[in-house]
Amino acid sequence: MHRIREGVRLNLQAFVRTPLNLVLAIVLPLVVIEGWGQAMAGLPSMPTVEAIPLDLGRMLGAVFGVAIIAGLLGLVQMIHARSADRRLIQAGFPARTLLATRLLMLTVVAVAVAALNFGVLHVLIDPEAPLVAFAALALAGIVYAFVGALVGAIVPRLFEGSLVVVFLAMMDAFLSGDSPLAADVPDFVEFFPLYHPKAALESAALEGTIATGEFAFVAGYLVVLLALVTTVFTLTMQTSGRWAA
Amino acid sequence: MAVTEPQTADTDSTEAVLRASDIEKTYGSRVPFTRQIPVLSGADLTIHPGEIVGIVGANGAGKSTLMKILVGVLDADAGTVERSGSIGWCPQEPLLYDRLTVTETFRLFGSGYDMTSEEIAAARDRLADRLDFEQYLDYRVDQLSGGNRQKVNLAIAVMHDPDVLLLDEPYTGFDWETYQQFWAFARELADDGTAIAMISHLIEERERLDRVYELHDGTVQDVTEEGTDGTDTTREGDDA
Repeated sequence: MHRIREGVRLNLQAFVRTPLNLVLAIVLPLVVIEGWGQAMAGLPSMPTVEAIPLDLGRMLGAVFGVAIIAGLLGLVQMIHARSADRRLIQAGFPARTLLATRLLMLTVVAVAVAALNFGVLHVLIDPEAPLVAFAALALAGIVYAFVGALVGAIVPRLFEGSLVVVFLAMMDAFLSGDSPLAADVPDFVEFFPLYHPKAALESAALEGTIATGEFAFVAGYLVVLLALVTTVFTLTMQTSGRWAA
Repeated sequence: MAVTEPQTADTDSTEAVLRASDIEKTYGSRVPFTRQIPVLSGADLTIHPGEIVGIVGANGAGKSTLMKILVGVLDADAGTVERSGSIGWCPQEPLLYDRLTVTETFRLFGSGYDMTSEEIAAARDRLADRLDFEQYLDYRVDQLSGGNRQKVNLAIAVMHDPDVLLLDEPYTGFDWETYQQFWAFARELADDGTAIAMISHLIEERERLDRVYELHDGTVQDVTEEGTDGTDTTREGDDA
């Protein structure tokens, strides 16, 4: 417990000492949410969806903004700390405890990023069920923080990893949920990371309902992601790889 | 590869705190048509308490690879490493968290070594005084000069008083005075019983080493009595 507390605290300190992180977290929501809203405002309304494209665009922007920031932060945290992590583990710090501290820190950051995005969204669209909408947005952030951590554990290079996270988040935000950009999408899109958080957000923001099925799916999704990240991280921190070459 | 700790067997084995036998390592890739790079092919090495052992060899000979295998952060393809007691490892490049301060770095690694807060603080103060970086304890690692970063890198390796200290060119970036201090410190540790193995490139360091192993063609020879032939005389490092 002492190690987890110390690890989370030091991870958070290291995070807030990176000015670019804070600038990204504060500036991006404004730009992305209103940017997407205005970009989609001119699109025709969907016959099956009552919401106007402007609001759908803003929600898409909020989800995308949270996903991209949390995902990239997850990626960067894993890649930048990789070498020092190995030394820390060699010093006796358990690999799973180290991963737990990093994921806890990412969860805190993802929720904070979601709060900033939700603040902007709340001013612009006045959601029907604000707390539920915030929960959905926070879950989108946590899911993508874990996705970023997973990509960072698999692809230990910043440029290539960033491309994976950015393209995945863009495709995900476009195709998931109700969107004038993609009215008819294939079934497998349901398994994209943002599909269910976005559906939960739209349901809470536009109809004021708690989409329990969507939240349950996201919880399961997080459990699977956690298992994947733990497995990959543990494997990559083992000694048999090429890393030390 | 088998790793045994602690070891048993004969008298010599009982005395050794670290023993590597028939270590083999080849760097390969799962990608087709890429080269296999054999590095070690039956390397043997023994380190006893209280001695400073130098590991020398040309660039690319496999010194860092051997050291990582001795530390336990890289698996060998074959062979055994027997360790008794705790290990301290000072890698060639400081593997530290850039955004943490020196004090926070001690706290994090100290918790890894399972030290109490008091033990961590005592080790930090003792080493900061000994290696002369007291004034930088509140600096972030990425704000330190190369030499000071290397001091912290070394201090983290010894903060838990390890039985075996494995150093990969620990003096990179040190000025002459710090370099001399480092050797005095290493001798003190050895006199207190710490076994030290160090990758070295400098001919003049041979006088400071109790034994010298040379890596050549993937194997290790004890060249303590052979002078300086065949060794690299530069201070340039390598990562083979």
